[in-house]
Amino acid sequence: MKKYLFLLPFFFLAALMNAAAQNDAITRFFNQYAEDERFTVVYVAPKLFSMVSKIETNDEEWNNVREIVKDLTGLRVLTADSIADGLALYKSALSKVPVSEYSELLTVRDGNQNVRFWTKDTNDGTIIEELLLLVGAPDEFTLLSFTGKIDLDKISDLSKALDINGAEQLGKLKKSKPKN
Amino acid sequence: MATIKMRTLLATISGGRQEFVRLCFLSVFVFFSFTLKAQDFGLYWKFKDYDGAVAVSAPGWLAKIGSLFIDEDEGRQLVRKINKVRVLVFQDGSPLTAKDFTRFRRKAEKRHLDELLTIREGKNRVQIYGKMRRNKIKKVVVMFDTPDDGSGMLSLKGRFRLEDVTKAFNKMGKKPKNGDKPVVPPVLNVPVIRA
Repeated sequence: MKKYLFLLPFFFLAALMNAAAQNDAITRFFNQYAEDERFTVVYVAPKLFSMVSKIETNDEEWNNVREIVKDLTGLRVLTADSIADGLALYKSALSKVPVSEYSELLTVRDGNQNVRFWTKDTNDGTIIEELLLLVGAPDEFTLLSFTGKIDLDKISDLSKALDINGAEQLGKLKKSKPKN
Repeated sequence: MATIKMRTLLATISGGRQEFVRLCFLSVFVFFSFTLKAQDFGLYWKFKDYDGAVAVSAPGWLAKIGSLFIDEDEGRQLVRKINKVRVLVFQDGSPLTAKDFTRFRRKAEKRHLDELLTIREGKNRVQIYGKMRRNKIKKVVVMFDTPDDGSGMLSLKGRFRLEDVTKAFNKMGKKPKNGDKPVVPPVLNVPVIRA
């Protein structure tokens, strides 16, 4: 038994690397197309969110956005609205989502258009710490990832503020949320 | 520098060891402060003399004088906080290579200049970097690359408090009084003179 003890750190290392690899799958997908001119790429760093949340103004619209983003720590968007292989990209991205880590929140298929939402919760399941949106159609593709402390109601309001292709799908979150 | 050398020499001759050490430290400090200044914006210093580039470096006092012409109090206060402005524009395509960007990012990371926002749409790209310390924005660098309007960078150095930014935002958020039209600054178009 003792002679196998030295293998223990390697097991831990392998488990850690596996978890990191799963997390990185989405990041790698973003990075793969970050320089592709067919796509529009948006990356908002955590520092900008924290900076924005500290700016208080009298403008109501701004304050609404501030209220939404104050708990967010990051936003990444990869979107294209006139591509030939939207569905192939959708399938490719779909295969990269680590299903064991995310829980599926909403799936909509309307004709050729597919919309999927996933969430990643904290260990106790009370707080959503990541929201992933994947949209795929023959000529359209969107991958959007929010990180932070996410309130689905607030995020769905952001669909109006974000002038990004595919962001309008966030409005579906409000409709899908069961009312108490 | 000549004075420092002379004093160093005199100190050595007179055997003032303490003063010699102090002067050595001073020389090293002066040398490194010049070196750091040169490294501050590798991109600016590398390409400011490039044929087809428009490079402008304005000191803080110029911004302070310029602030006198601003009507709005909040805007004036904000401009007064500028210590240095550097603009580098390439109107006929950017000579910057991927290697230059990689070097810039590496240097930025070392100096706590964080990437805040990146937007790329087709061939247009805007990147904003910022350095913040204790609720003060100390440096903002905007890098832009557009095939139609040229490419380049804008760097602002200063001590902008978030409260000042908030005030300026509040002013912008206010609706103009009846009959007043918001003032839109004219687009700056700098001609490129080629040798």
